[in-house]
Parts: sequence; structure tokens; C-alpha cells
Amino acid sequence: MSAIDLYRHDIIIVGGGGAGLRAAIAAAEADPSQSIALVSKVYPMRSHTVSAEGGAAAVARADDTLEMHGYDTVKGSDFLGDQHVIEYFVEEAPKELTLLEHWGLPFSRNEDGTVATRAFGGMTTKRTWYAADKIGFHMLHTLFQTSLKYDNIVRYDEHFVSKLLIANDGSCRGVAAHDIRTGEMKAIIGKAVMLTTGGGGKIFPFTTNGMIKTGDGMALAYREGVPLKDMEFVQYHPTGLPGTGILITEATRGEGGYLTNKDGERFLVERDYGVGSKAELGPRDMISRAIVQEIEAGRGLSGPYGDYVNLDLRHLGEAKIDERLPFVRLLGRTYVGVDPVKDPLPIRPVVHYMMGGVDTDIDCATQLSGLYAAGETACVSLNGANRLGSNSLTECLVFGARGARHMTQYAKSIGQIDDKALVEQAKAEADRIDQLRGRQKGGEKLSEIRRKLNEAMESGCGVYRQQDTMKACLQDVSQLRGRVADLQLTDPSRVFNTEVIAALELANMVDVAEALAASALSRKESRGAHTCKDYPHRDDQNYLYHTMCTFSPSGPVIGKKDVTLGHWEPEERKY
Amino acid sequence: MREVTKTFVLTRFDPDQDEAPRTQEYKVPVREDWKVLDAINFIKDEIDPSVSHRWSCRMAVCGSCGMMVNGEPKLTCKTALSDYGDRVEIEPLANFPIVRDLVVELEGFMDKFKSVKPWIVRAKQKAAEEGTYRQSTEELSAFKQFSMCINCMLCYSACPVVANEPEFIGPAAIALGHRYNMDSRDEGASERNQRFREEGTVFSCSYANECSEVCPKDVDPAAAVNQAKFNAVIDWAKGLVMPKGGS
Amino acid sequence: MSRPAHPHAMAPKTPGKTRTAPPQIPASWWSTSRMRAYLAFDATGFVYLLVGFLAIRLVWALGSGQGAYDSALGALENPIYIVWNVFALLCVIGVGVRFFRLFPKAQPARLGPAKPPPGPVIHAGLYLAWIGITVLLSAILAGGLFA
Repeated sequence: MSAIDLYRHDIIIVGGGGAGLRAAIAAAEADPSQSIALVSKVYPMRSHTVSAEGGAAAVARADDTLEMHGYDTVKGSDFLGDQHVIEYFVEEAPKELTLLEHWGLPFSRNEDGTVATRAFGGMTTKRTWYAADKIGFHMLHTLFQTSLKYDNIVRYDEHFVSKLLIANDGSCRGVAAHDIRTGEMKAIIGKAVMLTTGGGGKIFPFTTNGMIKTGDGMALAYREGVPLKDMEFVQYHPTGLPGTGILITEATRGEGGYLTNKDGERFLVERDYGVGSKAELGPRDMISRAIVQEIEAGRGLSGPYGDYVNLDLRHLGEAKIDERLPFVRLLGRTYVGVDPVKDPLPIRPVVHYMMGGVDTDIDCATQLSGLYAAGETACVSLNGANRLGSNSLTECLVFGARGARHMTQYAKSIGQIDDKALVEQAKAEADRIDQLRGRQKGGEKLSEIRRKLNEAMESGCGVYRQQDTMKACLQDVSQLRGRVADLQLTDPSRVFNTEVIAALELANMVDVAEALAASALSRKESRGAHTCKDYPHRDDQNYLYHTMCTFSPSGPVIGKKDVTLGHWEPEERKY
Repeated sequence: MREVTKTFVLTRFDPDQDEAPRTQEYKVPVREDWKVLDAINFIKDEIDPSVSHRWSCRMAVCGSCGMMVNGEPKLTCKTALSDYGDRVEIEPLANFPIVRDLVVELEGFMDKFKSVKPWIVRAKQKAAEEGTYRQSTEELSAFKQFSMCINCMLCYSACPVVANEPEFIGPAAIALGHRYNMDSRDEGASERNQRFREEGTVFSCSYANECSEVCPKDVDPAAAVNQAKFNAVIDWAKGLVMPKGGS
Repeated sequence: MSRPAHPHAMAPKTPGKTRTAPPQIPASWWSTSRMRAYLAFDATGFVYLLVGFLAIRLVWALGSGQGAYDSALGALENPIYIVWNVFALLCVIGVGVRFFRLFPKAQPARLGPAKPPPGPVIHAGLYLAWIGITVLLSAILAGGLFA
């Protein structure tokens, strides 16, 4: 058996993006004497938070109220969001963004020096705080740079957590972290663990997500019996570049951009797609469906990467684009050879965000004692069946902070940890990975399985779904789980072996995909981002609940969890 | 879409197997709209999974994928293959110790970066309830371009001083320290200016301007370094006249 | 193709846990026109050094009396020294132009609340100042002023 190094901390955070860094800072401030491990498979400034563009929402203007922000969010969630969570969120949001501003984030400003806000999809008034069109980049770097102040935040950069360590009493007391640089395993032990590893968009072929979004945290929790909630709700961002899937921010529409078909019509205005007078500023699920319908009706345009529609920004003028959307201009020119000042940008809906995730309560605690989750990894549930743009960055801050404060209190109540069993688990995990490395005797090719997984998810869990294709998707994915166990790996090296990491990520992706497909199949209605052609209407009578998907050796087990309703009564979702 | 075959020469290095870095050639059918990164990913997925490289966002904002392409530091996710001929040499970033294949040691940068205190320094921070600081668009423009740094490290690869003086703080770290010095909300300029005069001083910069030539985000670190020189001198002079407690 | 950079370039304070290969630079790093201009720019320092020696020789001669000074000045009429001085002047102009080109971005973005003037104004100011001071010093040295 391999030798394992043991590292002790009070709390452990897995994933160094917006939620993880905010949690680390909150924990460091809540108790300067506690030691916080921040474990990330990449250097934190590479986390995918960096790619967010549009802005972060919080009530800011005099004409805005917490009630309005809350209502917009509940309605956007198609009434599946937990209302006590939403009420807490809208109240904390302005404080959290104010803290970010104090820490140096270069928000765009109004004439009077106050923070500027822009319009965003599904929001009744301007409450999206922005920094040109690079909010995620600035937020991540501000948080990361601020975190460098705290000596009690100890970072484990480029460490891949492949297993949670479970104590004899069933609680989660650590992680097995594979040091990508040395190829060795570390047992990092603490009183509580928070998963902030983002979503799993890479299970789909066309996504705004970067390479690292492989659902690692979701899979880690799922495999320990923690249910994944509302996995069927996958947000398709309406405006991604064809081929690469690169994100073109909703702010393009917030600043006044139009969506046009091949005839140059603003189809969201010409036809009734449920967005009413909001037109291009409707919620993302409705706009994505509208685009797919336009293309299916033959009014889309054709290109080397499939069909698309146009995003027309020309009427905004060069000055406004260079001031508010400079990154979009660069992306258009670099990746599709189109300058949005002169020509419309080709776009199509691409997978962007997972509303579902690890089931947690409002304190970010899971059913597994000692295990927490926040950000896109978790489903708390703020976003219900569909997320409003610019809510998720604020969500990372609000719940990263709340979860960290709760963990800090919880950690104080935990005494000495018996680490013998934990180290044994880490050793077993180290051996498992040693066996996996350069595993010549397998019969399956990694990139081929990944491709097959992408194809299955694209056909079964797209914008429009059907019972029969979802069923086929679930069968395909379940079969792929078996094939993943038989991968052939060619690289036996120890130092910075990225092939074995890709294999571990693929296993996580397949688990997450299976939970997603099973959850999608079970929801026989259409709500928010989950649109089932066989059941095209929302069914509050039978389906106003959260889908819970729990791992079992014979396949995912589907259950239900009540939605916490409140003073916002479910109503027809029309804009 | 048209496809042509190009030959890629990649640096390979496994410290357990190789005494020194070596090269390996791969023939790749490339599509005309591919970036260099697409070809490297093709090599890893279809030809040789043992190639190790860093990448993530593929939209030129995470800073992971910096490498030398035909001798010049580039973000491989942003660099079009159509700019190159039949033979493309890809090496790890210059001036950095090499960990494995195309992966370099970043801890040296992290040390330099932390040493400039890249965070808002204030004697007393406002409470969240007191609201945000006011900052005019002019005040924002004093430092905004320097805040665009994605830490891709291409500037370190291009800088002749970094190549020769291990202590030099380097373009990105100075630019980020300067970014905070110029932020109207910060009060830590004195501490950073002192750091800028100490070991690895900003005055080691000899105006090569290569950092700004290769920066993929138009941060213009050369401007920051030279502004920092000016400010460091003013700060030193102030320190003579008003010792301690000044500024 | 690469050659070694400084062996400790970008080295971390705490050595990494695996062996790394030493930092490299591209073998033909000096071949781009930008780098050649930069090397020429820095190399002009040597030219000024030699001109400095000439000036020291003159001052030394001055200290040795009128005769020695006159003969030293006379020696400077040799075409070699004239060519050298013209070359040094060209180097100074080259460095000045390069420095002035970089100046607008090197000066602080703000001087208190005042906004800096636009690039062309700064350039005009720099060249006017340079020419003005040159004319003034030439007039003094030629004996036209403060004779």
C-alpha cells in the first residue's frame, strides 16, 4: 500500500471558484484561528467563474425592492424555487456585492460614482451590477486576490479530490486529494467539507462551459448516498457561438440587442413565444425554446456547425459596444470572424448552467453530516426549474458565505477526529488510482466514450425532450458506466499525468449524466427549462416537487422533496 | 470545411524518464478555423493521450493555455493555426522551469505576486451596510486596464530581464501591484512602492516593451512598470521629507 | 529550438516536489526586429561611455594648462573623432525618439485631479523642450550667451 501524507485542517473547501473562494474568506473572517484548506484541481484563477460576462444581480436602485427581485426569481424558477431561500438571497445580495466592491472589484459606474446597473432577462428593473462585460473575471480575481490576505487559508492547487473520506460514524471528515504534480495522494482531514466544484456542462457537446466543468463535486456526493436534486433542469443559454459554444452574454440583449431569423425578423416580437413585451429580455428557457422552434420551422440560417439565428448589435453603435461589450466584440472577431459592430453575430442555444445539484438546506448542509455544498454544485434551491441570468454569481457569494459561517459553527462542536479509518480510505483510493494509471489491459478509448456520452445527452436531454429519447439516453448512459470501468489508458507516468485525471473526470461525468437522465425521464410535465413534448404543460397538481435522485448499485432511485412555498402563489408563467 | 495536414513538434519531458526535454512530432489533420489548442487537444484525444498540457475556458480569459508557438509566447486557444505553415513547434513557456511536457512551474510567479500585496489595503474598511465607495469613471480608468490581467504569464516569457534576473518581480505582478496603487479605494501605495524598490526592483526594467507586445488582453504592463518607477521615486522622496506616517 | 535562460529564472522560493527541467528561451530570441532595436538601444550605452572618456580627456588636458588643452582640442579635429561624435549624436537621437515614444504611457495616468494631455500634445511638448534646450546649450557653448 502507498504511503499517504496526512494534512489536518478545520474545514476543507473543494473547488476554488466564486463560491469556494467566498466561503474560504468568510470562514477565515468568521474565525481567524481556524485553518481552512482550499483544494482545487486548477489554480483558482482558472476556475470557470472567470468566464461569466453579464453581471451579478442585487437590488440597488430606488425604484427596486427586495419583493420585486424575489418575485422575479420565483417566477423565473417556474415556482419550483424554495421561497425561504429566495427571500434570504435577495436580502443578502446587496450586502455581498457591496463587500465585493469594497474588496476592489472595478464595477462600471454611473455619473455620480455609484455602481451602474443594467437590464437583464426576466428582471423587471435594472438590478444587474456589471463591470463592462467581464463580471466573472473581475469577481474571481478580486476574490482570489483578497483571499491571499489570509494566512489561515491554505491552498492545495492542482489537487484532484477523487473521494470523500467518511468516518466510522458516517460523517464526512475529509477528502482524498490526488496531487496532480507528484502523482501522490494526500489525506486532507477536517471537521467539515464543502463542495464548490461547479456544474457538469461538459457532459453535453455544445456548452459554454470550460474543460474543467465535469461535475466532480456532484459525483463525489452522489456516490456517498447524498441525493442530487432537480438534475433534469439544465439551462440552455440562448446565445452561444456555434461550434465552440463560447458564451455571448445576455447583456448584449440587456443593452438592446435583437434576435433575428433568416428573414431579418425579430421573431420574439413577431410571434408569441410567451415572452410578451419583454421580447429579447425574456427568461432564458423561453428564448432558447423560441430559437429552436424558429430553426425547426425553417427560418434559421445554416453554417458549418449547424443551424443558427442572428444576434444583431449593429444599432447599438461602436461607442456603446466598445464601452459596455468590448469582450463580446473580441470574441466575435476571434472565434467566428464577425465584428458585431458591422455584422450580426451567429448564435444558438448552448448548455450553460445546471439548476440542479447536491441537495442542501438553506445553510448549505447536506444530509451527510459534515458535508456542505454551494454554488452551481448545490441545489439549495434558489433557481428552481430555470435560473435568471446574473443571479448565479450572487448566489455563489451569498451561499458560499452562509455555508462557511455555518460550517465554522459546526466545526466548533466537533471534537477530535479519529483519522485511522480515513487514512485507510485514502490509501485504498491511492491504490485504485495507481491501478488506473496506464491501464493497458482495458478495451475502451477515453475520447470515444466521452463522445458517445455527449451524443447521448444531446439527443436525449436537449432543449426539447421526449419520453422515448430520454429512455434511450438513460439506457445508453447506464451502459457507458460499465464501459468507463474498462478504459484503456496509455500513460503510466507519475508526474502531471492528465490522462488519469481525464479518466476520473469521465467517471464523474457519467454518474452525473445518469442522474440527470433518470430525473428527466421521471418528470412527466414541462416546467422551466425541462420541456417534454409528451407532456407540454406544467402540472402543479402532481409535479410541484423537487426531484431527488439517489445512487444505488442497480441504478438511480428517484424520489421527491417538497418545495418550500411562501407568499408567492404559483401562477401561470407569462411575461 | 477544408482540412490540411500539419506537423506539430511538441516538447516532451517526463522527469522520471527523461534526462532533459526532447521533442516528438505528430501529424494532425487541421480544420481551417482551428486554433493551436484544438490541434493539441486532437493529439491528446486521438493520437497520444500522454501529452500533458493545461487549458480550460478556450475563450482567452482563464489564462491556462500559454505556450511558445514557433518561438513566441501565445495563448493557444486564441491563436489561429491558419497563421502558421506546415510545421508548428510548440514548447512550454520560456523562462519557467518545466514540470512536464508543456506544463511549467507557476509557484515562482505566485511568490512574486503575493509579495506585492494584490488586495485592497485600508486602515479601516467600511461595513457592508454603509454601502459602496463612490468612484468616478475617471478614477476607474486610472487602473482599469491593469486589472484586466488574466495571469497567463506570456509577459514573463517575453521579458529579457525575467530571463536573466531571477529576483525581478516581473511585468504582471508589478502591473497588478500598480493597479491597486492607482485604485482610489486603496491606501496601501506606500507599502507597495517600498516593495517595488526592494529586491527584484521595478528599476530592473530596461524598456524592452516585449511584455506589452505579447499581452493578449492589452493590459500594457510596460506602462504599469514605468508608471510604477515614477511613483516609487516620488514615494521615496516623500519618505525623506515626511518620514513615517506620510502619504 | 531553445537555449538556457538563467538557471533560477522564475524559480519558486520553496522548491517543487518533482524535478523540473531548467528554464529555456527561444534560440533565435534576438532575431525579431523589435529585439534587435532593443539591443541596439541598450548597446548605445557603450557609445556614451566612449564619448565620456573623450570628455574626461579634455577636462584632464584643461587641468594641465592652456597648451595641453589647445592640443587636445586640435586632436579632436581629426575626421575619426568627428565621425564618432556624429554617430554618438545619432544614437542619442535614436534613444530619445524611442524614449519619447514610450513616454506617454509611462507617465502616470493622472497628476492629481488633472487629466494628462493627449499623446500628440505630449510628443510636441517633449520635442520642443528637447530642441529648445539643445539650442540654448549650443548658444552657451558657442559663446553666444554668458560669454
